[in-house]
Amino acid sequence: MSGDVRRVPDPEGVSDGQSAGGAAAGRVAVVAPVSEDTRIAIEVRGLVEHGELDEARDRFAELVSLHQRRASRIAYQYLRDVADADEAVQDAFLKVFAHIDTYREAWPFEVWFTRILINGCLDRRKARARRDRWFVGGGISSTHEARASVSKRDADPEHQALARERRARVAAAIDRLDGRQRTVFMLCHFGDCTPREVSAMTGLNESTVRVHLFRAARKLRGLLRGKP
Amino acid sequence: MRPRHLDDDRLYECYVAQRRGEPVDPPAAEHLTDCEPCAAQFAEMARLMDMVRIEGEAEADAVFTPERLREQQQQILRRMDAVARPARVLSFPGRMMQRTIRVSTLRSPRWTAAAAAAGLFLGIALGASYEWESRGRMLPTLVSRNSLGSRGAHLAPVPSRGAGDGAADEAFMMELETALDRPHTRELAAFDAFTPHFREIKDQQR
Repeated sequence: MSGDVRRVPDPEGVSDGQSAGGAAAGRVAVVAPVSEDTRIAIEVRGLVEHGELDEARDRFAELVSLHQRRASRIAYQYLRDVADADEAVQDAFLKVFAHIDTYREAWPFEVWFTRILINGCLDRRKARARRDRWFVGGGISSTHEARASVSKRDADPEHQALARERRARVAAAIDRLDGRQRTVFMLCHFGDCTPREVSAMTGLNESTVRVHLFRAARKLRGLLRGKP
Repeated sequence: MRPRHLDDDRLYECYVAQRRGEPVDPPAAEHLTDCEPCAAQFAEMARLMDMVRIEGEAEADAVFTPERLREQQQQILRRMDAVARPARVLSFPGRMMQRTIRVSTLRSPRWTAAAAAAGLFLGIALGASYEWESRGRMLPTLVSRNSLGSRGAHLAPVPSRGAGDGAADEAFMMELETALDRPHTRELAAFDAFTPHFREIKDQQR
C-alpha cells in the first residue's frame, strides 16, 4: 500500500484559514453557477459571522443532509470500517462548521468538504496502520458486524453468499490499488466527481488525475477478470 | 482505411463521459458504432465498472441505513452544540483557586523568602560549628585513650598491690555502687531509705 497515507495538500489553507492559493488553485478555476450546497454554506458562514449560531446550526443541518450519504460512501470505501467511517464523516462536518469562516466560494462546497473528509480518512488509515503494527487485532470488527447485519436483511442465503463474495472481491481489488489511484478512482466512482474536481480536491494536475484514473481502471479490470 | 481500435484509456474515457451524461468524443463514438470488437470491449468494461460502483455503493448503503444516517446527523448536531457552547465551569473551585493563588502571592513578599533563606543558612552554620566544636572536645579524649591503649601494649605488667590497697579499692567500688543504686529523683530518696538493700542483707548475714 505505497502512498496510501499521503495527505491531500491543502491549496486553500482549509484548516488554517489562509488563502494560500496553491498549485491546483492557480490552475483550476471552477466557474460554475453556485450550487445549492455552496449557497447554503455561504449563508451559514454569514450567520456564524453575525453570531447567529442557532440559525447557522439549522442551516448547516441541511448541508449535512445533502452530503451525508455521499460522504459516508466515500469514507466507508476508504476505511472499510463502519465505526471509523461514521466518525470520519462526523469529524469532517464538525471541522467544516468550525472553519466555515475560512470557506471561499471560489470552490464549490462539495470540493472543500470532500477534501477535508479525505484528509480525515487518510489520517485515520495512517493511525490504524500504526495501531495494527503494534497491536494484534482481536474480536469482531465493525466491518464484520456490518456484513452480518447486511446478511440478516438478505433473505436468500445463496444470493447473500454470492453478493458477499462479489463485494469482497471488489473491495480487495480496490484495496490493491496504489494510494493515489485509489483516491482518484473512489472520488470519481463513489463521489461522482469529475477529474477537474478531483484535481481541485487532491491538488494533483488534471492530466495526472486522468492518468491515475486510467491506470486504476486498467488494474481493476485485470484484477477482477483474474489477471494480476 | 479502418481507424485503429480504441485503447483501454479511450474506452474508459467514453464510459466516464457516458455515465456522467456528457457528450462522448465524436470520433470515439463513431468508432464504437462501427467496430464490433471495440463495442464489445466497451460493453464489457462498462459492465465491470458499473458492477464495481454498484457493489461498492450497495455495501455502503447497506451499512449506512437511513436510521443510521439520521442518528449520525443528530450526533453531528449534538457535537456542534458542544463546540458552540463550551461546558459550564462551576464557580466554587474556581473562586477557591483564585483566592488561594491571590493569598499566596500577595502575603508572601520577597523579604519573607530572603529571611527564610538567611535563617536556613544560619541554622546550617550553627549546626556545623557546634558539631565541629564537639568533635574538637572529643578528640583529645580519643587521642589519650588511643595513646594509652597503644602504649599499654608496650608496658611491662603492673606489679600486684598489697591487701590494704585491695580494701581501699573495695570501699571505693562500694561507694560507687551506692551512688549509682540510689534513685536520682529526690522525691524517691525517702522510700529508698526505708527499703533494705541486697548489700545490707548480705552484710548482716556475714
